[in-house]
Amino acid sequence: MNGSETDILLVDDSPEDVDLALHALRRENLANHIQVVRDGEEALDYMFCRGQFASRNPDHQPRLVLLDLKLPKVDGIEVLRQIKCNPHTKIVPVVILTSSKEERDLVNSYDLGANSYIQKPVDFDQFRDTVKQMGLYWMITNQSPLANGASHHKGAGR
Amino acid sequence: MATKPAVLLVDDNPADVDLTRDVLSRCSCPHEIRSVGDGAEALAFLHRSGKYAKEGRPDLVILDLNLPRKDGRAVLAEIKADPSLKTTPVVIFSSSPTQRDIRGSFELGANSYVTKPGNLQGFVSTVTSIGEFWFGRAILPPRKNS
Amino acid sequence: MTVEAGTARAASPPPAKSKPALKVLQLEDSLEDAELVARELRVSGFDAVCHTARDPQQFRLEVRAFRPDVVLADYNLGQWKGIEGVEILRQEGLDIPLILVTGALGEITAVECIKQGATDYVLKDSLAKLPIAVRRALKEQQLRRQRKEAEEQLARSVKELARSNQDLEQFAYVASHDLQEPLRMVAAYTQLLAEKYEGKLDEQADKYIRYAVEGATRMQTLVQDLLAFSRAGREEIETTETDCNTVVQQALWNLEGAVRGRSAQIRCGELPTVAANSAQLRQVFQNIIGNAIKFHGPDPPRVRIEAQRKNGEWEFSVADNGIGIAADRNQDVFAAFTRLHTRDEYPGNGIGLAICKKIIERHNGRIWVESEGGRGATFKFTLPVQNQLPGKPQEGKQDNGDQTSGAVSR
Repeated sequence: MNGSETDILLVDDSPEDVDLALHALRRENLANHIQVVRDGEEALDYMFCRGQFASRNPDHQPRLVLLDLKLPKVDGIEVLRQIKCNPHTKIVPVVILTSSKEERDLVNSYDLGANSYIQKPVDFDQFRDTVKQMGLYWMITNQSPLANGASHHKGAGR
Repeated sequence: MATKPAVLLVDDNPADVDLTRDVLSRCSCPHEIRSVGDGAEALAFLHRSGKYAKEGRPDLVILDLNLPRKDGRAVLAEIKADPSLKTTPVVIFSSSPTQRDIRGSFELGANSYVTKPGNLQGFVSTVTSIGEFWFGRAILPPRKNS
Repeated sequence: MTVEAGTARAASPPPAKSKPALKVLQLEDSLEDAELVARELRVSGFDAVCHTARDPQQFRLEVRAFRPDVVLADYNLGQWKGIEGVEILRQEGLDIPLILVTGALGEITAVECIKQGATDYVLKDSLAKLPIAVRRALKEQQLRRQRKEAEEQLARSVKELARSNQDLEQFAYVASHDLQEPLRMVAAYTQLLAEKYEGKLDEQADKYIRYAVEGATRMQTLVQDLLAFSRAGREEIETTETDCNTVVQQALWNLEGAVRGRSAQIRCGELPTVAANSAQLRQVFQNIIGNAIKFHGPDPPRVRIEAQRKNGEWEFSVADNGIGIAADRNQDVFAAFTRLHTRDEYPGNGIGLAICKKIIERHNGRIWVESEGGRGATFKFTLPVQNQLPGKPQEGKQDNGDQTSGAVSR
C-alpha cells in the first residue's frame, strides 16, 4: 500500500510497548503507516521537520500522536507543550499513553491541551486491548481535522 | 472518594438526548449524565450559577454545535479559554460533517469531534464508542474542588 | 389635402408631415456649399435642420448643444481638416456618423479618411449621392444601437440568472441541511419502535411500522444525496497535493463491507499525485467503485483502476465486469436522479454520478462512461496535471507495458 502520509506517530522508548502497540494497531488495520520515534527530541524533529526528518513535508501531519511521558532527551510534557503551542501542529490529536499514575502528569497533560490521557495497563492482553480500543476511537470514531485526512465513516450514513 | 464520572450532554434535540442517554446507559461503564438544551444553559451549568449552584462539575462534556441562545462553537471557545474549565474534555457531537466545522472545533481546543450518524445503527454504535472510550479507557482529569 | 374616409391608402409617397426630421451639423467654411447640401437633403425628403461650424471649438460647442444626428464635413477647412471632427466626436463619447462632403479627393485619401473613422464620403459634384449615404449611415447607427442594447440586455439576464441560480443552490442546501435532523428523528424512532414492539403488536402494526421505517430511511438517503450534491457545487475547492493511491485506499476502506460482501477483487495501478480536493476525489472514487460492485453481473465483481497521462491531462479509468449500461444511455447516467433500474432491482437515488460529475467539472476535468449493456462499464475522468515542483516524482507508471502514452519521466 502506498502510504506516503503518516497516520500515527508513536513516541515511546520501550521496545516491548512499541511492539505490542504496533501489533494491536496493525491487527485492526487502523493505519497504513506508523512512524515510531524513541525519544522526545526525535518526536519534535518529526513534528517540526527538523534533523533527520528535515525532508518531511510539513503539510502532512500525522493523524494521531501517541505520546509516552517518560522519554529520554526531551520529556513527553515538553513535547506536548511544543506541539500544542505551535499553530501548525496544535490541531493534531495527541493522546498520552503512559504508565504514569501521577495526578500532576494527568492535570498537566490536559492543561497543555492533550486530547486524552490513557494509562498503560500492566497486563499484556489488556494493553493490547486498550491500544485497540483507543485506535478504533481515534482513527474511526473521531473525525480528523486535517484536510487530507479521510473520514472513516464506518457505521455512519454514507 | 471514587465517584462515577459525570457527563454533561448539550443538545437541543430531545430525541437525540433521549437516544444518547439510552445508549450510554447501556455502556459497561457506570457514569452519571445530565443534559441541557442550549448553549447559555451549558455555560451556566459549568459555572454553577443560578439554579445550577449545587451541581457538580462534569468530567466530560458532549457538545452539539448548532444550539439556540448560544452557539456550540462559542460555548467551546469559552470553555477552553477559561482556566477553571479548560481541562474538561469536550467531545463535539454534531451532524455537521464539514471540514470547516471539524477543523474549526479542533482549532478552538476541542478534544475530539464525532459526527452524528444519520442512521440508527450508526448512531448507537458511535455513541457506544464514545462512552466506552471516555468512560472506559481514557482517564479523565481529576475534579477540582469548588 | 383631403382624405376620403374609408378609402384605401394611395400608393404615392407619404404626405409632408411624415418626413423624418434630421439635425445636420456641417463642417463647412463656404456658405454657398453649405446651402447646396442643405437643399439636396430637403429635396430628397429629409426635414433637415442645418447648423454650421468651421473650426474645432465651434464644432465642439455645436455638437454638445445641438446634438446632431449626422455630421457632414468638408475636408479642407483652412488650418483644420474636417476629418479631425471624428476625433472630437470620439472624445465627446458620441456615436454620430461623419460623412465627408468634399471637393476632389484622391481615392487614397478617401480610404484613409474612412480608416480614420469617417463613415462615408461624397463628392461635392455628386451631391445626389448624399441622401443615400446619409440614410445608410443612420441605418447602420440604428443597428449598432440595437445591438448594443441587446448585448446589455443579455448581460443583465446572465447576471440575473446567476443570482437566481445561486439562490436556488442556497435553498437546496439549506433545505436539505435542515431536513436532516427531523428526518433522523423519524427514522431512528420508527426503527426503535420496530425493535421494541416487533411481534408484540399485530401483523398490521408490524407492517405499518415497516413501511414507516422504509419511507424514513429512503428520505434520509435522498436528503443526504441532495446535500452532497449541493455541497459539491458550493464548497470552496481547496486543492492540495493529493496522492490518488491514498485516496483510492481510503475509498476502499469505506467500501470494505461491500467489497467483502460481494467478494470483489479490486486491482489498482500506480496512480499519480494531482492537485485536487482529496475528500471530494475520494467521494468520486467511492461512488464509482461502489457502483462497480453494486451493479455486478453473475460473476464476482472485478474492478481495475488505472491512470494514464494523455494530451496533457491525467485520464483515470475504473473498469468493471458488471451489468454495463446500454450504449444509448451512457450520457444519461450522469444526470441527477436518473435511475436505470427499479428500486427492487437496485437501491439508490440516482445522484451518485451526478455528484461525481459536478466534482470533476469543478476540478476542470471531464467524466464519461464507455459501456454496452451486459459487458461491463469503464468510467473515465480527467484531471489537469498538477504544476510540478522540481525533484518530485509525479508520473504515474503504466501498469501494462503495451500501452504507451508518450509520458516523459523526469
